[in-house]
Amino acid sequence: MNTQLHHEISSSLTELNKVILGKEQQVQLAFTSILANGHLLVEDLPGMGKTTLAHALYKVLGLDYNRVQFTSDLLPADLIGASVFNAQTSSFSFHRGPIFSSIFLADELNRATPKAQSALLEAMEEGQVSVDGETHDLPKPFFVIATQNPQSQSGTFPLPESQLDRFLLRISLGYPDPAIEREILTGKKGRASLDQVKQVLSKESLLQIQQLVPEIKVSDTLLDYVQRLIAQTRQDELCHLGLSPRGAIALVKSSQAWALLQGRDYVLPEDVQAVFVSVVGHRIVGKTETQGDQLARHILHSVDSVGGGVAAVA
Amino acid sequence: MFEKGFPQDKLITYSGMLWLLAAQIVVMLPLIFYLPIWLLPILIFSAVWRIRVMQGHNAQPGNFIKIIIGLLGLGALAASGIKVVSLDMMASLLMLGFAYKALEVIQRRDGMVVILTGFVLIGVLFLYNQSMLIALYGVLSMTVLTGALIAIQQSKSYAILPNLRLSSMMLLLCLPLMLLFFFFAPRFEPFWKVPQTSGHAKTGISDSMTPGDIAELSQSDDLAFSVKFEGKRPGQNELYWRGLVLQHFDGKTWTQSDIPNGKGIKIGNDRLSEKQVAESIVKRGDSVEYEVIYEKSGQPWLFALTPVLEVKGRAFLGGDFRIISYRDINEPKLLKLTSYPKSLRGVELSDYDRDLALQLPDGGNQKSRLLADRLMASSASKQEYINRVLDRFRQDQYFYTLRPPTLGSENSIDDFLIDSKRGFCAHYAGSFVFMMRAAGIPARVVTGYQGGKWNEQGQFLAVHQFDAHAWTEVWLEGQGWVRFDPTAMVAPSRIEQNLETAMESEGSFLEDNFLSMSKIKWLDGIREKIDSAQYAWRRHVLGYDKNAQQNFLKKMFGELSVQKIGFIVGGLFAGIILLWVMFLGLARKRETEAEEHQLYRRFCDLMAKKGVTRDLSQTPETFRRFAMQELPDLAGEINSFTQTYSSVCYDPSIQSKHQSYIDDMKSLLKKLNR
Repeated sequence: MNTQLHHEISSSLTELNKVILGKEQQVQLAFTSILANGHLLVEDLPGMGKTTLAHALYKVLGLDYNRVQFTSDLLPADLIGASVFNAQTSSFSFHRGPIFSSIFLADELNRATPKAQSALLEAMEEGQVSVDGETHDLPKPFFVIATQNPQSQSGTFPLPESQLDRFLLRISLGYPDPAIEREILTGKKGRASLDQVKQVLSKESLLQIQQLVPEIKVSDTLLDYVQRLIAQTRQDELCHLGLSPRGAIALVKSSQAWALLQGRDYVLPEDVQAVFVSVVGHRIVGKTETQGDQLARHILHSVDSVGGGVAAVA
Repeated sequence: MFEKGFPQDKLITYSGMLWLLAAQIVVMLPLIFYLPIWLLPILIFSAVWRIRVMQGHNAQPGNFIKIIIGLLGLGALAASGIKVVSLDMMASLLMLGFAYKALEVIQRRDGMVVILTGFVLIGVLFLYNQSMLIALYGVLSMTVLTGALIAIQQSKSYAILPNLRLSSMMLLLCLPLMLLFFFFAPRFEPFWKVPQTSGHAKTGISDSMTPGDIAELSQSDDLAFSVKFEGKRPGQNELYWRGLVLQHFDGKTWTQSDIPNGKGIKIGNDRLSEKQVAESIVKRGDSVEYEVIYEKSGQPWLFALTPVLEVKGRAFLGGDFRIISYRDINEPKLLKLTSYPKSLRGVELSDYDRDLALQLPDGGNQKSRLLADRLMASSASKQEYINRVLDRFRQDQYFYTLRPPTLGSENSIDDFLIDSKRGFCAHYAGSFVFMMRAAGIPARVVTGYQGGKWNEQGQFLAVHQFDAHAWTEVWLEGQGWVRFDPTAMVAPSRIEQNLETAMESEGSFLEDNFLSMSKIKWLDGIREKIDSAQYAWRRHVLGYDKNAQQNFLKKMFGELSVQKIGFIVGGLFAGIILLWVMFLGLARKRETEAEEHQLYRRFCDLMAKKGVTRDLSQTPETFRRFAMQELPDLAGEINSFTQTYSSVCYDPSIQSKHQSYIDDMKSLLKKLNR
């Protein structure tokens, strides 16, 4: 691989880690999502650094950025924009909404009503929006980073499974280590250093890297492993809804992006395992109250990572 | 629930515990009919305690409490009056341990102990009862027990049915093996005497008879034996199943005189040679060929139509024209017999035998003796005298009853013959023989069974304990011993039909036997079917002994030799194994895997032998790091092997060098193997 590009990737990660302290794994996953050209869902309690992560990402990538705080009275037009009558030209002209940006941060997505949510999710899927019969293309690249509060919190509208599927990865940041937290408390690091984040990647490099992702080689043995994992999600007795083919594609794509991030041009089982919980956790449904992430971990542990063939579940 | 100090993955889950408890109850349930009944509550007590511990309500009992309740159980066993050295005690101790074990079953290991003991207890049950229904119950217990075996290995709870289905499947797979053992395992006589089970030791005919003491004849509808006739079945009134001969009378009790202490017969003591048999019997009339299955009685006596001239099976011809088993009958016994009922027996009477047949106590029963003298004086011949005595029974006010008045000990014959005139077969037989002997005619009491119930469905005759009967034999010049049944004079229906018909008006048939199913008429049809199935079970399954086995094998495979049997058994065994391999799919597994994966698995096995085990989900890379850390000496080889494997599997750029990589793996594996 191009050493220049690889250097750019690793320095991007370094920059991000300066702001999001002690969360290398999550930062890599967020970056994986961007490399794989997929949208990212960050699920956590308020105040865990979700927004900071989004900020840091757009700064490192040097892309244009919009942020909308989702509330229960948010309307689709508030996101997409509206046709406004221009008295001077005596015609309607389209005023672009905040969604026309390369990185769109949908803060607290699950606070908005389903109507507003689906407007966003449609745009995510199509890469374009239609207003008054006119189609407007969204910029390229286009990422949505949505943050979400856990659904047990009051005043939220949980996203249905079909819409969760639109997000390539779901991550959750979690509490920081005590030592890291101390650094944050002293105020020298963390969000305070957000201003110092430098742009490392150019838009062109990013598009170039994104094109490299599908080139990352996936061997038959690895596909066997992936298929065994998928089969397990569909056959495991704790699983109610298994992984869809779209989910399976997402798994391979994310694994490729992760391998690229590690500077390799072929995928290893480690890569699959690294992204598995984030890809699968929000796409499968357990028979019991088991959390998707927990279930995904259980599946990961019950499948042989080596060997050939799509073995039946023992 | 977490149990401290035990690895989590080796603990039995809550549902596994419930399974185990259910299996324990199922196993113990039939045994409490034979052993102290309080063993079952002990199990429930232990199990409830254990379950409450699992739910967090109670504490696990400490060693002190365990010792206390253990001693309590042993004390209760000691107080229950079971003989110390007996099968009952052994079985009860096993049951006690089995029940208490429920209290401390925590790990899978403990569960295994319970389950293995359970299998032993199912075997113990067959020492007590070998009927078909118990065998079916045994299969049920095994299914539940195997279900529990599966359940305690599971780390999650599953539904009940899948477990039962799996355990039935497992048992079904074992079925061919079971059949192989059944048909081919050598049948040995027991090497030691099985300690008798108490309380049920002796059933059937007693070897003495004291009619005067019995106010109410206790009856049982247990099966005594079943008979299958080869040819025509003799008439119902010809079915005198002769067993014991009671010669000695002390004024009250009839006993076997030739065995002074009344205990078992020593082998050979009473055995007649073929020559002696030929001398004492004059063969007359047609033969009756039949096959008898005797039920467990705890006694050596056998019952047959007399005289028997041919015996196939473990029994010998004894004195007094009886057949006797070499051992007490503790499991169903099959004999093939040929009788010639019309033959003359003992035409020549020795002085010794004549003395025995004329013996009477010195005094007592004067009225009867006078009556005998009077009748004899007015009779022209012995035959006429006999007829007059029989006529007296027929014409006078004698009643056949199962509830006779008790008789005095001094003059029991007078009390019956002159005064009460109420009694059952023993009274009539006893007094008839007394009258004969008083008149100087040799006579003796014979006991056994009379009649039996014909099972149309199974084409066999079932003789029950309530068919027990006593009759007499009188020795007549030129005719030898002739059978006379005085009861037939009083109650012909007892002989022509059966006891039930004879007792219809009195209503005393099986009246002390409340639970007896034999009284429920509308069940007759079903009962006949069940009886017939049970007969088949006894005949073909329990009756499959050494002889039956030889006959069967000969019929199937011709003349036998050890090598031939070895080949057949070996072949069948191999067939069964093959069946299992095919069924369980053991043969398919890793065939489909490419060579590199097979090599890697060999590598993992090798590492496991050296103490480093790969988790299922561990990737080669993770395992490499782990193994290198654990086995620093082999770090180099482990590293190269894993790198090579990883490249072969995941790096498409080496495809052209695939074979050389595989060769590298092989040589590295050899190095590691050293």
